[in-house]
Amino acid sequence: MSNHTAKRRKLSCSSDGVPGLEQPTTPESSLNASRPARMNISKIRNTARQPGHSAEMALASGLYKSSLFKLQMDELIAESRPNYDKHLAALGDTLHELKDLIERLPEKPAKHAVEAEKEMRNLHGVTVPYPEPRPSKDTKYSVVYARPTNVNVVGSFALRTGSKLAGPFVVDMAVTMPGSIFQEKDYVNYRYFHKRAYFVACIAAGIKDKKSATLDVKYELQDGDELRPIISVQPAAAAKLDHGYPRYRVRILTAVDDTLFPISRTLPMKVNIRNGCSGGNDDQEHTFYNSSLRSEATVALYHKLLSSAARASESFRDACLLGRIWLRQRGFGSSVHKGGFGGFEWTVLMSLLLEGGGSAGKPLLLKSYSSYQLFKATIQFLAAKDLTEPLLLSAREVSFPSASPVVYDGKRGLNVLYKMTPWSYSFLRQEAGTTLRMLNESREDNFERIFIFKIDEPLLRFDRLVTLPVAEHGDANAVIQRNHAIYGVLQKALGDRVNLIYISSPSGGPSSVESKPHRKQGPRNLSVGLLLDSDNATRIVDHGPSAEQKEAAAAFRSFWGERAELRRFKDGSIRESLVWSEDPSSSIVHQILVYILGRHFAYGEADIGYIGDEFDAQLRNNGDGVLSYSSSAFQMVTDGFNALEKSIQAMEGVPLTVRHLTPTSPLLRYTGLHVDRISGAFPAPADVALQFESSARWPDDLVAIQMTKVAFLVKIGDALTQNGDFSSCQVGLENEQSKILNNAFLDVTHVSGIVYRLRIHQNREQTLLERRVKEQGASPQTKQEIASALAVYKRSFIHSPRLSQAMRTLCTRFPFLSPTVRLLKHWFSCHLFDAYVNEELIELVVLRTFTQPYPWEPPSSVMAGFLRTLHFLSRWNWQQEPMIVDLGGELDQSAVERIRTRFAAWRSIDPAMNSVSMFVGSDIDPDGVTWTQYGMPPKVVAARICTLAKAVMKLVREQGLKLDIPPLFRPALEPYDFVIHLDRKLLQDRSNSVAKFKNLSTLSDPTRAGKHTIVKDFVRDLQACFSPNILFFHGKEQSDVIGGLWNPQTLKPKSWSLALTFSTQPGEATVSINRVAMLNEISRLGLGVISRIDVQNG
Amino acid sequence: MNKDLEISGYIVLPLQLPSTPSFPTPATHYLYLRPHEPRIPDPDTPRSLFLVNIPIDTTETHLRHLFSTQLSSGRIERVDFESVRTGKKSDAAKIALLQGTNIAKGKKRKRVTADELEGRLDEFSLPSTWDRQLHRSGSHAVVVFVDKASMEASLKAARKAARKSSAIIWGDGIDESRLPRLGLQRYLAHQRACYPPRADLLRSVNEYMNVFTEVAEARKREAARRAAEPDEDGFVTVTSGPKLTSAAGEEEAKRLIEKQKKKEQGFGDFYRFQSREKRKERQIELLKRFDEDKKKLEEMKMRKGKIRPE
Repeated sequence: MSNHTAKRRKLSCSSDGVPGLEQPTTPESSLNASRPARMNISKIRNTARQPGHSAEMALASGLYKSSLFKLQMDELIAESRPNYDKHLAALGDTLHELKDLIERLPEKPAKHAVEAEKEMRNLHGVTVPYPEPRPSKDTKYSVVYARPTNVNVVGSFALRTGSKLAGPFVVDMAVTMPGSIFQEKDYVNYRYFHKRAYFVACIAAGIKDKKSATLDVKYELQDGDELRPIISVQPAAAAKLDHGYPRYRVRILTAVDDTLFPISRTLPMKVNIRNGCSGGNDDQEHTFYNSSLRSEATVALYHKLLSSAARASESFRDACLLGRIWLRQRGFGSSVHKGGFGGFEWTVLMSLLLEGGGSAGKPLLLKSYSSYQLFKATIQFLAAKDLTEPLLLSAREVSFPSASPVVYDGKRGLNVLYKMTPWSYSFLRQEAGTTLRMLNESREDNFERIFIFKIDEPLLRFDRLVTLPVAEHGDANAVIQRNHAIYGVLQKALGDRVNLIYISSPSGGPSSVESKPHRKQGPRNLSVGLLLDSDNATRIVDHGPSAEQKEAAAAFRSFWGERAELRRFKDGSIRESLVWSEDPSSSIVHQILVYILGRHFAYGEADIGYIGDEFDAQLRNNGDGVLSYSSSAFQMVTDGFNALEKSIQAMEGVPLTVRHLTPTSPLLRYTGLHVDRISGAFPAPADVALQFESSARWPDDLVAIQMTKVAFLVKIGDALTQNGDFSSCQVGLENEQSKILNNAFLDVTHVSGIVYRLRIHQNREQTLLERRVKEQGASPQTKQEIASALAVYKRSFIHSPRLSQAMRTLCTRFPFLSPTVRLLKHWFSCHLFDAYVNEELIELVVLRTFTQPYPWEPPSSVMAGFLRTLHFLSRWNWQQEPMIVDLGGELDQSAVERIRTRFAAWRSIDPAMNSVSMFVGSDIDPDGVTWTQYGMPPKVVAARICTLAKAVMKLVREQGLKLDIPPLFRPALEPYDFVIHLDRKLLQDRSNSVAKFKNLSTLSDPTRAGKHTIVKDFVRDLQACFSPNILFFHGKEQSDVIGGLWNPQTLKPKSWSLALTFSTQPGEATVSINRVAMLNEISRLGLGVISRIDVQNG
Repeated sequence: MNKDLEISGYIVLPLQLPSTPSFPTPATHYLYLRPHEPRIPDPDTPRSLFLVNIPIDTTETHLRHLFSTQLSSGRIERVDFESVRTGKKSDAAKIALLQGTNIAKGKKRKRVTADELEGRLDEFSLPSTWDRQLHRSGSHAVVVFVDKASMEASLKAARKAARKSSAIIWGDGIDESRLPRLGLQRYLAHQRACYPPRADLLRSVNEYMNVFTEVAEARKREAARRAAEPDEDGFVTVTSGPKLTSAAGEEEAKRLIEKQKKKEQGFGDFYRFQSREKRKERQIELLKRFDEDKKKLEEMKMRKGKIRPE
């Protein structure tokens, strides 16, 4: 590009910068490699500040992902940035008052810790929030209150890096404790924290005494750290405003001078807790204690660092805002309960990276970066850099406990990530990786998925969830130890079955200053989220070390206990191993969890809550017990197809050679809900399209082609019946009244009982139909008929084979695609959408969850797949947006553009959405209406689908882990105007009688028609007679009702006209719909099929 | 019933619908009828009645029964239902065919024209899989009586019946066995009829294909004759070579056009001016896109409100 610059300047000087002003080459090698070229800002930098259209344009197209992304981001930043001036005006006085009050508090002489607490309670009614272990009678040191050296507003309010939140506006105020109240050795054995607690209590008491009328004073934990209780001040209940939230909250933090304790004493691996018995063998515990102590000393230092960063880089504040939003949407926060990485850590990390962090200590971020670049580069840093290899900034040779992430800031002596655990770090890293991929995707702008969606819902996020009851006791270290222990055991036990384990412990809210904090809290639940590995999660046998490796084998045995078995395997090796049962009632991961948690933590099976298997069970119960695409039922269908293909290729006596046989049925692409012949319900025949080698001898007439097809099918049938693989062949008719649709098929029954339905694909039909569409003079109605016949042709002979092939491949690539599709089909059927939704539409919607999984990764469980698909449906604004699915991986920008153009065209042709409501384009089908044209679904139904999906999402949000699954699959009958109940008894008898005579239940027995076929034919009749004035909703085997909905348009009286398409009764001068007569007609038509009709409305 | 007996010139005839076990609520259906007055009258028009809003399960038997037994007035020659009448062309063809064969018989013509033969093709169709046709709700039918008198008598009887409150029960007294049944039996019969016997199938196919070949041959002959006739200037066009069937020809042509297009594409960025123009276009495109995006954002804000994280 650079050799064109001279010319370019001539062409458009305004939009191009002066070349040659190269930015200083950035040192970061890891970033440069993958950073997209458009982040190269040198050429636009100069113009960026020029006002005017072209400058804005250059900025938008160069510095950001896309101009739309940039525009949305600007909006977002503007929307989320608090109005600091307003807040300052409102809060200034309160803050000043607080500051004065704290500075004027009377000093208190030194006292013994326990006595001081007693006195505090007696005089002020305030407890001292000593952290565990609390000081006892034997404690040698005394506590004291002296005038603070400094009271200052710090943090996001002072730096203006915060974002608007749903809750109150938070202001941090740091009180610097004087060095005089501490002794040299106070960093050991919680002495600092005890003295600090007394100091905090004194301030709390002071505020409470003076201001209790207007302010609520409470204790809370800073960042969930039990060692550091702080004071939280809110306007008292009476002054609550703004949607029930108090307007603001002031958090009073403590700080000490950074030179009070030397950095060398609080290095991560120093042992400062020396109470003999515990011996100091737990690294995590010491590291946390030391860092917690150190962070008290660095409050002022970080404030300085951040404000200088904000001064140095224009976009710093905006980038902080973006970071905060990004973290919040993913449920991360500064608190140890929220992963220990929040806005503060993000801000600090960015300012550190502005100073260093690259190779050879050069800065990783540049001051000239735009907010987007700062954000992206930080995300990239989080995703790419493995921080469990300690990253030392301005420091060397500091040792850290293994497995925890480290960004050690040598100048200030603190590991910025000290609150992070191995699990929260790996989770953060995964989220950063996903976000980075979203940012790098050129096809979609992903803005909503990055910043707008709230994606911390555990049910949507994880594949399996485990809840464990735990006793909370205020001891910070015990909690840390326990969580680490559980994590260690789970990680070892589940191994490569899981990709990620995330433990989240409950966090306590603020507590009153009067009561003893954190003492009596009942049992809480620890929740563990698992992201499964879809290939390994269901493995039955685990291989341990071989018997010869004595030590490893012993360790394996001691870990697994009696479950470990010594086995000889096929390859001759003798290994320790574990064999799990294939019992469908308990998945293997569940078995492992129950066993190992019972063994190591004495949890009983009843204690362990396990969420996720219910969805599998739902599918198993309603999908013939088949879960995986690799199950034998699907295998049988495929085998039968292969046999059919072979026989057809080898058959003699048919004058044309067969080019190929292509599957077009859901059964042959692993997405049919009913695959097995269980409970008398026959799976639908598996559709197959057959194409002959092209021949010029096919007649030039549609009817004649159909007749020729019949002749061919009879011949093929004759040839196949001589083959032992097939028990019978019979030619059947469909659409026989139409002269333009396919008329005939051949049902071939394989010996296994599976029926294949062969249709002949002749591409001359397409040419003839297309010619007739173009023909002059035909009536619009005929033209429509021909167009719809053409659509049917394309659907069954062009798109269906394509889709089948793509789905087959994708089902093997994503093992959970097939079960998720099938469960969703069941859901649609349960809600009686069968008549209005093509199965293929459901398949495509689910597929989208897998091939375009953002903001998550492809699901590895039915639960995640199912709920995320509903999440998509709940948000899909189908009226204004097409759904675009990637099937073959060839969906690029131009393909998306093409699909969007088609969509816009459809909306302008059919703005009322009578023909096309939902629009689904893909790389193999850019037309986008193949499966949804002609009211599949009509817009009423489309809206209802989205409403139902929204209702499910609402339940997920509200009930969380307590969500009950079966009600999700129960249809709500209230919205229907009338409900037709199918005659359950009669239909059941029929299917039983069929099951009784299995040998007779072949093609020769036409009564083999299952309930589903009869109901389908019945509904088709009803639709033919009453559409579009009544909508009929029905489901598959499991549902016994048909819902009916009057078209509200028809309910008003009309003036008499021949064009009315419903039964009427005469009124004064008008006619109105004769509903009773129509219901009577329905009941006459359903004689023997239905038992009763309940009229619910009107 | 004290309702208006007429609406827009139609007599309103109430019909009591028989109640069913699954829906016992009594129901009345209203049939509207008047003399047939089509835009283009044909010889049958004077003796026809035009019926609107026939019940969905109406059959010719039903109407015959209604007019001859229940109203005891006129005899019906035939009934043309709306759903069947849509294939007007076939009707016309049938008539033409009838006339044609008459003429052929009379004159003992040896050669039938291709058009006449093509008309015969409609006679052969695959066996139907439904034993009874249903009608869409609110549809109409034309009832042709044997003569004008029966039509008028029926109209009168209907008017009288409408005035009287004694209700006519729809289909009451019809011999059930004469009608294909509705309900479960209908669907079972359909399942059976979907698989017609092999012989029946082959017979209809063979008959159709025979006539079809005849048509094709007749057409060919006609074409040959036309080709052999000298045109106005006295020339005879001579053509040669095998003729592809027209559909196949079309496919071939499409392929050729495609090929030609590919060839024409050539090199796009060979000359400097080409790449310069391209760059310019890109820039204009970019500008346009930016404006579009801005508009899109505005629209988005209109639709969803402010951009704000959830």
